[in-house]
Amino acid sequence: VTGNGTATGVDLGAVRAAVASVCDPEYPGLTIDDLGILEHVGVGEDGVVAIGLVPTMLGCPALAVIEADVAAAARAAGAEDVEVTFLARPAWTPDRIRPGARAVLAGEFTVAVRGRDGGVICPVCGSRDVEDRSEFGATLCRSLAWCAACRNPVEVVRRGRR
Amino acid sequence: MEEFEAFLDDGGMVEPVDAMPDVYRNAVFRFIELHANSEYMGGLCERDWLHRAPGLGRKLGQLAKTQDEIGHAHLLYMVAADLGVKSREQMLDDLFAGRTRFHNVFHYATPTWGDQVGIAFLVDAAALASQQAVFKDCSYGPYKRILRRVIAEEGFHMRQGEEMLLCLAEGTRQQHDLFQEALGRWWLPALQLFGPPSKPDDVLLRWHIKSERNEVLRDRYVQKFAPMLTSYGFDLPDPVARFCAETGRWELDDIDWAPLLATFENKGPDSARRVATASGAWHETAWARQALDAAAAPEAA
Repeated sequence: VTGNGTATGVDLGAVRAAVASVCDPEYPGLTIDDLGILEHVGVGEDGVVAIGLVPTMLGCPALAVIEADVAAAARAAGAEDVEVTFLARPAWTPDRIRPGARAVLAGEFTVAVRGRDGGVICPVCGSRDVEDRSEFGATLCRSLAWCAACRNPVEVVRRGRR
Repeated sequence: MEEFEAFLDDGGMVEPVDAMPDVYRNAVFRFIELHANSEYMGGLCERDWLHRAPGLGRKLGQLAKTQDEIGHAHLLYMVAADLGVKSREQMLDDLFAGRTRFHNVFHYATPTWGDQVGIAFLVDAAALASQQAVFKDCSYGPYKRILRRVIAEEGFHMRQGEEMLLCLAEGTRQQHDLFQEALGRWWLPALQLFGPPSKPDDVLLRWHIKSERNEVLRDRYVQKFAPMLTSYGFDLPDPVARFCAETGRWELDDIDWAPLLATFENKGPDSARRVATASGAWHETAWARQALDAAAAPEAA
């Protein structure tokens, strides 16, 4: 599943760009590429475009919507046969989120990403005085915390335990 | 107070650490408490259908919505409690005792899957429209930040609702009828979710807690949904909206406000059962909270 697709008539660069610009259904303005969900786009000799996605969580309720949006974007960019696969490996971690996207999560959505040291920086005031309140928030991929400094609730992208 | 109002008119944002007049604090608190109660009751309403939704995909959808609504309630109760008017326990006690309100749409029964689609398509859209209007010009910082995410998540629910509706609209006669019947039950409550016409001197508007008048939001909703529903082949129930060729707009018949006023008193068709269910869910799980508190407490010597 490699090659630039010229032999099959598929413009792989255009398909890749189209797929990479698909927005996450719960973070309008952030793409699946920004969030590290898009793993690869390739085309086989038979012309089938294969797209591999890494779900943030296997139980994510948005997977069907993301799959449909990705397939539609690939077709709109000229791919006829499209195969979208959710990969079990590699596992998604918050480290896959691009730095620019972290700033949008913090600034636009008041969502923090838990650091590798387990700490959280408040996206509103920058304090580290953030107390965990609930293992799960409004979605499976976020927990709920409280900033004692500015007194705002903070949703935190969960980091799986290893 | 004049100075404070000028600050708000200039687009000023109030933060929890700031001084604010008590009347403003109380108004913001009551508004957020109503929203929190409604998310909580809405989450329980979604939970009712977890095991009855048709197919695994729909069950997962219900599960995600339940999690969303309860999560939103959690966030909103945190911000409401922080205002210092009532603790979260007091808010829940008041809700279970019928002393406080929750949105009219959660005072009705959902006997069929058509009702769930009615909620997902009609009610969620009305809720989203009013939340967007609050977000646009909301003067209380923590609430505006929560609304940003609530709106993004409700937008996702809307997509699911539209897909659920199309499935019934383009399905068998029986499926089509299922939604038509549900539309008869949900059209009026959805229109009334925006509330009665705003008073001329509504403080929620003056203090930039809301940004648009209830009747303006309702009219915009009618202009969008009346043509959409008729294009899918559904008949609009009372109050009927009719297309007026002269104005190019959909004109709505007079609204009977009695059903809305009944829900304000917690005397809607399903209010008693819903409040009892919520109260039961809370009190039956007291042992879990006690166990968690005991586990978190330092060991007694």
